[in-house]
Amino acid sequence: MSESVLNSNDRTFKYSATNGIQHEEPLLFEHAHEAPESIHLPGVEGDIPDALAVFSRKIPANIPGLSEPETVRHFVRLSQWNHGIETGFYPLGSCTMKYNPRVNETVARLPGLAHIHPDQPEDTVQGALELLYEVQEWLGEISGLPHVTLQPAAGAHGELAGLMMIRACLDARGEAERRTVLVPDSAHGTNPASAALCGMHTVELKSGADGRIDLDVLKANLNDGTAALMMTNPNTAGAFETDIKEICQLVHDAGGLVYGDGANLNALVGLARPGDMGIDCLHINVHKTFATPHGGGGPGAGPVAVNDTLAAFLPVPRIVKESDNYRLDSTSDASIGSILSTIGQSGVYMRANAYISAFGRQSLHKIAEDAVLNANYILHRLKDVYHVPFEGVCKHECLLTDEIQNKHGVKTLDIAKRLIDLGFHPMTVYFPLIVHGAMLIEPTETESRETLDSFCDAMLEIAAQCEAGNTDALHEAPVKPFRRRLDETQAARKPVLVWPQ
Amino acid sequence: MTIPANLKYTKDHEWVRIDGDIATFGITDHAQEALGDIVFVELPDIDRELEAGEAYAVVESVKAVSDVYSPVAGAVVEVNEELEGEPEKVNTDAFGGGWIAKVKISGDATVELMTDDEYNTFLEE
Amino acid sequence: MRFLPHTDSDRTAMLETMGLSHIDALFADIPDEFHLQRGQLDMAEALSEAGIVRKFTKASEKNRNATNTRYFLGGGTYNHFVPAVVDYVVSRGEFLTAYTPYQPEISQGTLQALFEFQTMISRLTGMDVSNASMYEAGTATAEAALMARRVSRKKRVVIAGSVNPRYRSVTTNYLSRLDGECVEVDMGCFGTDLDRVIDAIDGQTACVIVQYPDFYGSVYDLAPLREACDANRCLMVVAFSDVSAFALIESPGAMGADIAVGSGQSLGIPMAFGGPHLGLFTCKQKYLRQMPGRVCGLTKDADGKRGFVLTLSTREQHIRREKATSNICTNQGLMCTAAATYMTLMGDAGLATVARHSAVALQSLVSQLPAHVTAIDGAHYNETILSFDDHVARQRFLGAAQANDIFAGIPLEQLDSSAENRHLLVTTTEMIEEADINDYLVALEVAK
Repeated sequence: MSESVLNSNDRTFKYSATNGIQHEEPLLFEHAHEAPESIHLPGVEGDIPDALAVFSRKIPANIPGLSEPETVRHFVRLSQWNHGIETGFYPLGSCTMKYNPRVNETVARLPGLAHIHPDQPEDTVQGALELLYEVQEWLGEISGLPHVTLQPAAGAHGELAGLMMIRACLDARGEAERRTVLVPDSAHGTNPASAALCGMHTVELKSGADGRIDLDVLKANLNDGTAALMMTNPNTAGAFETDIKEICQLVHDAGGLVYGDGANLNALVGLARPGDMGIDCLHINVHKTFATPHGGGGPGAGPVAVNDTLAAFLPVPRIVKESDNYRLDSTSDASIGSILSTIGQSGVYMRANAYISAFGRQSLHKIAEDAVLNANYILHRLKDVYHVPFEGVCKHECLLTDEIQNKHGVKTLDIAKRLIDLGFHPMTVYFPLIVHGAMLIEPTETESRETLDSFCDAMLEIAAQCEAGNTDALHEAPVKPFRRRLDETQAARKPVLVWPQ
Repeated sequence: MTIPANLKYTKDHEWVRIDGDIATFGITDHAQEALGDIVFVELPDIDRELEAGEAYAVVESVKAVSDVYSPVAGAVVEVNEELEGEPEKVNTDAFGGGWIAKVKISGDATVELMTDDEYNTFLEE
Repeated sequence: MRFLPHTDSDRTAMLETMGLSHIDALFADIPDEFHLQRGQLDMAEALSEAGIVRKFTKASEKNRNATNTRYFLGGGTYNHFVPAVVDYVVSRGEFLTAYTPYQPEISQGTLQALFEFQTMISRLTGMDVSNASMYEAGTATAEAALMARRVSRKKRVVIAGSVNPRYRSVTTNYLSRLDGECVEVDMGCFGTDLDRVIDAIDGQTACVIVQYPDFYGSVYDLAPLREACDANRCLMVVAFSDVSAFALIESPGAMGADIAVGSGQSLGIPMAFGGPHLGLFTCKQKYLRQMPGRVCGLTKDADGKRGFVLTLSTREQHIRREKATSNICTNQGLMCTAAATYMTLMGDAGLATVARHSAVALQSLVSQLPAHVTAIDGAHYNETILSFDDHVARQRFLGAAQANDIFAGIPLEQLDSSAENRHLLVTTTEMIEEADINDYLVALEVAK
């Protein structure tokens, strides 16, 4: 390589952008040739019994079947059309897209953990139960709510489990008329949906001018029908609910319980505990705070941690330890029962256990410290050119809006799509609903200062383009990825969800 | 935006046209514009008895969903089945081909109805 | 800490940029009384990567597993073969570490895989449409009951006793806080008498839920049930636990299901001690807009090129909130990619071989049973019940089998607390070879 190349002041790599080699790839149903000889499989050869043959499938399912090299190439090409956390920055607010350590994948695939059946004898799965029990106890310690169920399969499922417990607790107190769940207007949509599924109804609390719960609004809505307040802390605007102690006290005094949506636990882990603040029940998004991969939408896990008030109502089975022996216990009169047909998303918890093990007692708080540091750093660098709806420090995510760019006809969606051309996954857009044109940015703790700076530079460049009236590129963005803006209206008007035969 | 004079309007941006004992319902041009591209209209069952102010249909765009309320009381006698295949008619012809349902009026109960002028003033406020 | 890129000087510099001298300034909004002393939690010490591998290997080695033991276990979780390619594809960071494809321009890989998954699942189950997955079969069954209530605008739900007791338990639990009756129909001991289910249907019934093949592995015609459903404007929900069956026997769609739900774990997903598995949810086209969960649909981009998006999202919680069809948000997306890869590798022919080998192995075992053990009659796919004289005889056999590296079946009372303690739910897959069946029969003789 020549000296001049080495010394060149080439700024091509300012942003990674998206100029990779990408292949068009048909649907596998469109691959032209007939399915090759099928994969060689083990097992017992022979004819099926006559009694079963009566029910033989008459028309084949028409699953195409490709050879192994074609299958690999097909899915590898598809993978190359995706942006993942391993590919680049992924600052989706409220989603905690942090690096997913590779060793967690390795250990979760050990044969004694991946290839075991949930109903094989308990004395043959002691190692798996031990790891699950350990993570169960750790989650209790981290949340300050010592009794934990690992059964809920995702955050929303945890919400349902938690509300079922709250309802059961109120019923046991003889207060079956308490069926109202108070939900701030900044809440995740799963909160009201979970309440409805639990046979309760929601009353929406209008947030105060600072984006936080307004104590007067809360007081005005507390009454004999109040079952619970569902709150997220830090809230979805990225702000800590500083009145948390008084909020919990007010709800408890009114006879209700406090449900914590733990989606934002990444801001607090190792530094402060929801249980200490008065929260009775908290679900934890393991796929957020504890770095298990999101997998393009799942799987997740939504364990629920509760205090003594709710412990008797936890779902069954529970993982219990007796001397050095672990077992699943399904005996509980007060339990809300089972909410999943297996013990839970065990493989997800194996990864979470490995993740927590890597930090340990000494370092767990560094997760929250760096996550909050990074979010505030971004906020600081962008606050002069983007509108900041709520003053003050943020926690693990910062909230901006498109108010300033609106004057140039540029909306949040345009900014988001332009970020794609510059090599970044957009932030969460149009959520929370309490501000117009929301942009919720959550960098997480696993991003370097270099990445944070390049993202901020990109955001500043977009703002500068707006100011310069150079907005066409923003409206047309993205132009670089494999596909440009997609027609969601057509998709919804004439839904095509399967490829025709 | 034109607001036809021969219709009555509600604060929820529905319109109603009354011909004898038959009332025809739809949503206003303002409502369709606020919702954006309509992708689906959930129509009521024929013969369903509606109270004035009852939600009888749902209009959906890609990212929003809105209940539609009955301005008068009555039984559903006809629905605009063309919307099943072409929901965009609500966008292109809100006061005409985008009608949603016809009801045989029973009783005098109505929600508060406005004239075209009153609705225009309401929109401006 | 190896997952955190900042050095202490980075942190200091960043704080200085903000005019701050200490990280605590960023946490000043948390009341003092709630601040933990750093490092104060009662948890294990940090481990190195080598230490983590050592710890997990030690735990793993305590467990009997399918690489050293023959599994005749099923009941909702199955030891089918998982080709290496499946695990390779889902290990790729672009699939593994992506979020829900809310930004479709940079998520076309996940989206096309979901579209292919939906297509193949609808073909395999014989249904019109599939969603992009539920958590697992139990919650999928519960969601089917809820959907049937919305579609029919009726509230009564009938569940056959032949449905996996755990699916029943989750479903009745979900429904118990809502208005409307939920009736479980006792079909007797391993009963296949659909008439009892049909008798329980009335004009107020929103849906009837049956399992096919049923919990005991029995396969029987659902046509009489379909007629009864039609007569009562009631939806027929068909649950299943091992979707591999439908490469061999008639699909739920062919049996007349309005909604078919169950487990897709058999499609290239390891048993993993109960999860993550894959909940399948399919229905007739006309009920599409009442379906829960995410769906992927075909569309075009601004240049007219074919592409895919998540669609019909107005059904979902983030838009319709308390009126949503379900509270589900996170699904089992990566497991959809695994299942799509698995089905692509297998094709019709491979899937049929899996199913045939699974069924033939069971037939081989049952046809050679000694006189002191009985299996239930009738057509079976790959599961059946073996009955012993008493609890002692069954336990003696389980011990003898395990001593020869065989998990011989699940004690039925473990899945169904009302069952007698002398039965075993026995399952075969293509992972069972002739030699394993011979060893199983030897254990039966030894423990006689």
